[in-house]
Amino acid sequence: MPGTTAFPDEEIIIEDIGGGGGGPPPPPGGGDDGDGGGDDRNRRRKWTPSPKRYSTAITIGIVSILMFFMALASAFIVLRRGSDLWVTVQLPRILWANTCVLLASSFTLESARQRLFQADASGFRKFWLLTTALGFLFVAGQLVAWRQLVAQGVYIASNQASSFFYIFTGAHAVHLLGGVGALLFVGFGKFQKTKISLPAAAEITSYYWHFMDGLWIFLLALLYLGK
Amino acid sequence: MANDGSSGANYQKSPQTGFLSRHVFNTNHKTIGLNYLWLALFSVFLGMAMSLLMRIHLAWPDLHLPLLSSLGYSPDRFAALTTLHGSLMVFLVLTAAPQAGFGNYFLPLQIGAREMAFPTLNLLAFWATVASLLGLTTTFLIPPRPAITLWIVSVAIFCAASLLNALNFSVTTIDLRAPGMTLPRLPLTVWAWFINAILSALIFSILLAACVCLLSDRLLSTHFFPLLNFIANQPPGIIANAVPIVWQRLFWFFAQAEVYVAMLPSFGLITHLVSTFSRRPVWKERLVVLALCAVGLFGFCVWGQHMFSSGMNPFSPLVFSLLASSLGLPATILLISWFGTLWNARVQLNTAMLFALGFISLFLSGGLSGIFLARHDLAAAAVSDDFVTGHFHLVMGVAATFAILGALFFWFPKMFGRRLNETLGKIHFWLTFAGVYCVFMPMHWLGLISHSRILSGSGLASLTAAGSAMHSFITVAILLTVFAQGLFLINFLWSIFHGEKVLDCNPWRATTLEWSVPSPPPAGDFGPADPVVYRGAYEFGVPDVAEDFVPQHIAPEQVVKAKGSPVRKIISGK
Repeated sequence: MPGTTAFPDEEIIIEDIGGGGGGPPPPPGGGDDGDGGGDDRNRRRKWTPSPKRYSTAITIGIVSILMFFMALASAFIVLRRGSDLWVTVQLPRILWANTCVLLASSFTLESARQRLFQADASGFRKFWLLTTALGFLFVAGQLVAWRQLVAQGVYIASNQASSFFYIFTGAHAVHLLGGVGALLFVGFGKFQKTKISLPAAAEITSYYWHFMDGLWIFLLALLYLGK
Repeated sequence: MANDGSSGANYQKSPQTGFLSRHVFNTNHKTIGLNYLWLALFSVFLGMAMSLLMRIHLAWPDLHLPLLSSLGYSPDRFAALTTLHGSLMVFLVLTAAPQAGFGNYFLPLQIGAREMAFPTLNLLAFWATVASLLGLTTTFLIPPRPAITLWIVSVAIFCAASLLNALNFSVTTIDLRAPGMTLPRLPLTVWAWFINAILSALIFSILLAACVCLLSDRLLSTHFFPLLNFIANQPPGIIANAVPIVWQRLFWFFAQAEVYVAMLPSFGLITHLVSTFSRRPVWKERLVVLALCAVGLFGFCVWGQHMFSSGMNPFSPLVFSLLASSLGLPATILLISWFGTLWNARVQLNTAMLFALGFISLFLSGGLSGIFLARHDLAAAAVSDDFVTGHFHLVMGVAATFAILGALFFWFPKMFGRRLNETLGKIHFWLTFAGVYCVFMPMHWLGLISHSRILSGSGLASLTAAGSAMHSFITVAILLTVFAQGLFLINFLWSIFHGEKVLDCNPWRATTLEWSVPSPPPAGDFGPADPVVYRGAYEFGVPDVAEDFVPQHIAPEQVVKAKGSPVRKIISGK
């Protein structure tokens, strides 16, 4: 039984606060106040929720985001197949360069995490900041792609293909910027005060970042093949 | 208390300081859960008032109500009323109350956690929900064009909030269970909340994506949702009634699953109540868990059921019809389990149990008409008729509301340390129970009558007369039913302050963990010791013990065989 080992600890604490906490149950309506601040502090300090919760959360979050893009992708496929008058959008060349940047960022991220495992703090920081910079570079590259299309007179409302191009790249960029935020948090955050440890934060950021990477490849393939 | 303010500064937010931190910025799961319930209470009365207005318009179109006539009687207004009634009831009541409301309050308590996995995210989701309620309500007061845009934005915000909630619920259930709380020992309420959270995490993304595209169509003049292409090539007159089929697909993919989002927590709650008040274990508990999973799974596959008449591939209605009918399988398993639990049981007929039995009755009668609707040949003709309205109000709207009310009567002593008045509660139950049948059963008939209008001949006049009499009957019935809800409101508000006090922390003799702590639960929920779980959630009718049940947190060696309540013994620290 997993719980039996926990019992001796608890008995000690019961003795500890027995004087203050033995009163009658708190009055109705004031349930969250409790009747002794001291007790609360003991309890809260003792109870720490499982650290596994961050990686579980990122997994479910990823599946959820995937469904968002699948809804868009299915709309794209249905409309593409049903249309006789589909106007294609010439994908800007810079997208291929951007893709390379994003793929490279995944490699630098993994290198950074490897440095972290080897307790090489400065190496970790160097590669991590490189990853962050590559992330910014990718978003800047996507903006350049948009500018190029606008220069050709292709706007979001021009035709269905252009609408999908802008919405795919835009939604991906918004999600990717969330990842850049996480990179910045891990790169510059002070981990003494946070509830999450540095390796754990680096790990879940890497899950999300690789997912963004894979998602971009999928969207690019969709846009390319859907021409 | 005076020294709390200073000494409490170094841990989280001190709950004592001021209105803002106690109600607005309080990340405590119990406060947030209660706030959701208040939100749902407000929305349900607003939504009921709207349905009342609609029925009065339908039955007596010439009647001018003194204050409300300034809002106008245009068809636009009626459409706005319908939309708003639907969105308030589905989003803010049926989705928010059983999952976010009771779930936030009782999920951590039932699994032995002291908080949700991400309390700040929880608070954010709550205030996003409030923003979406404000947005939805404002749509009624502004002109139609901006109103529709605002409606879409509000729904998108609600989707985001639901996604955060779903994330929080599933992570809490997976990672924060107390020692010994293995998956087979989870109460069925928790199973239902968990499966529902997974389902929500998947479907609300779909609606969010659809809303983003719709907004872009409205604001950036894109064309994500064009008319059907083959129709678009036809002469202009034919296009008028065409529907944007891609929007329909995305919307119904969400909306059909949304029905199960509203129903899943209700299934969990009802199974829990039926077992507790029959004093018997849930019959075939594992099968019930599988059935709950199956409801979640099938919920994904039946969206086409709403699109039989929308010009989809001629073979697909047959497939969807089959899939929709197969939903009857898990539903039947649930029903058989409830009846199996009730079989030969000494049922305690208090108000909570009455509502649970009422739920079963409504679910059964509403579900039967669902079998008709799953048939693609009938539904293709009768779609959007009163038959459908009657069906889904019985099975989704009213049945789920009964589950919410049952849960409220059950958990009220835990939440407020007082009981709701039983006599008033029973009167309210019987009035509502009779009322909803009088409102929604005739709607099935109305649907069938209007369906038979295609038969030519002399019978038409008599049918019309019968139909209008039925409309009046429904409207009178709904007036009475809505006024009966006043009894509930009085009971609820009065009992919070003056209800009979409950000193025992386990008044219903229930087994789950929330009944092992004082009512209302203190900050940090459990006493100084973290709870440990030793057994399944439904050990009722156990032979050789002092009472007929053993709570989950009682160790095998602590089970009291002689006199005395095992619950009290554990609380006082042995």
